[in-house]
Amino acid sequence: MYALAPPLWGGPGSAGRYWDLLHTLVARAIKQRYKRSVLGFAWTMLNPLMTMAILTTVFSAVFASSLPSYPLFVIIGLLAWNLFALGSTQGLSSVVDSGPLIRKVAVPKAIFPIAAVAANLVNFLLSLVPLLAIVLVFRVRITWAVLWVPFGVVLIGAFTLGTALLLATVNVFFRDVRYFYEAALLALFYATPVFYPIEILPPAAYAVLRWNPMHVLVDVFRLPLYSGAAPPWTTLAIAGGEAAAMLAIGLAVFRRYETRFVDYV
Amino acid sequence: MSERPQPAPEPRIGVDRLSVRFDLQRERVMSVREYLIRRLHGERFPSETFWPLRDVSFTVGAGESFGIVGRNGAGKSTLLKVIAGIVPPTHGGVVVRGRLSPLLELGAGFDPELTGRENIQLYGCLLGFRRKHLEARTTAIAEFAELTGFLDVPLKNYSSGMAARLAFAIATDSDPDILIVDEVLSVGDAQFQRKCEERLARFHARGVTVLLVTHNMELLEATCSRALLLERGAMVVMGRPVEVAARYQRGGSR
Repeated sequence: MYALAPPLWGGPGSAGRYWDLLHTLVARAIKQRYKRSVLGFAWTMLNPLMTMAILTTVFSAVFASSLPSYPLFVIIGLLAWNLFALGSTQGLSSVVDSGPLIRKVAVPKAIFPIAAVAANLVNFLLSLVPLLAIVLVFRVRITWAVLWVPFGVVLIGAFTLGTALLLATVNVFFRDVRYFYEAALLALFYATPVFYPIEILPPAAYAVLRWNPMHVLVDVFRLPLYSGAAPPWTTLAIAGGEAAAMLAIGLAVFRRYETRFVDYV
Repeated sequence: MSERPQPAPEPRIGVDRLSVRFDLQRERVMSVREYLIRRLHGERFPSETFWPLRDVSFTVGAGESFGIVGRNGAGKSTLLKVIAGIVPPTHGGVVVRGRLSPLLELGAGFDPELTGRENIQLYGCLLGFRRKHLEARTTAIAEFAELTGFLDVPLKNYSSGMAARLAFAIATDSDPDILIVDEVLSVGDAQFQRKCEERLARFHARGVTVLLVTHNMELLEATCSRALLLERGAMVVMGRPVEVAARYQRGGSR
């Protein structure tokens, strides 16, 4: 007996089919993004570079003294932030956007938020090449600590996916959650040390903001590239714990409600 | 068509006391604000339920062709959607043994911005085909759909008939064990319809189990060995197609 999907998406060989469908959906998302613009892939890098230029112009007088190579500090943080922000925002609407499909084809529904996050992850990985060039321009020494970078990417990806699964579920039942999330995302951006060092926070603010998961997740990715230092073990442990917890929550909520999606999308 | 044997002991499709409930009031999308206000006012959410399927049971054996008839809104499409795994059962359950190929809502996964070739990949993967397999079959699929010169044209430039032909060609380009057909035989022009019927007849001859929803009583009697009449979600009569068709044409139980 099955309640959700025929053996096609549960029986033997379904992992391969799932992978192929994911591959197709991700390829489509990336193609769509680049087909519409003349600059294509260049936008992936231009957008954070422009934000970096603005933030640097505005804040370098304030932060540059405590942060050498301030633009580099900003761009690394921005790329990590964008992976989370874009992945979770696109993941949020992914299930509702696929409503016609969900009502007509037996398809594992989690594939839509997974594809949204995966497409942004591919984009992010492509942007690491120009990032590496910028790192070299600033003559930052590449050390063995750089081996922590993939770990940071995995953690941010997992945290983003958990958030996307959770938000996609809520969005099926409450369509205005997107507006709440956009506001929350803006607040979270300022609560995350993307363009400022965490040390400038007054102790009271730090006591609260240190619980912002994105703070440690950005650190795990940024420290090895910016300072050439391995992230402290406490940071790694907290980041790992938070990413795993978010993914578990997102998966649990999604699986709890996905059978009801078809009546609402 | 000759008399078919009774269903085998191991049925391909088993539907067991299946009921599906739609909650008309609750299953409406709300805004967070609306929800909170109604909660604060202590408002209950009155449920207005509707049962598109009530206590439906039947089995379909290997190689059997089973017809489902009923007026619009009788629950036929919901029944097919439950068997295809799209709509979850509220009570009871469904067992499907073997590879199922649903010919419902043909082309539901098409993306008009993508080319015919890319849509073969997309729709094929949604139906559970492997990418490699689809790549190898692209030419044959296009040939059957009579779209050989149009593979690299975006689907938005296809006529609806061309898109329907492509969808049918993809969905039937395999060896399914079970075929679910919801009046899709009206695809394309007369010539293409003949091709579709030939392909379905070949499946039938190969022992594929067919579940057919139709309003065409001639087709029902010609192709099915057993049939079921649904009325407002409930079973009215199940048995030989001739009897079921007669009952349907009399206007069900009234």
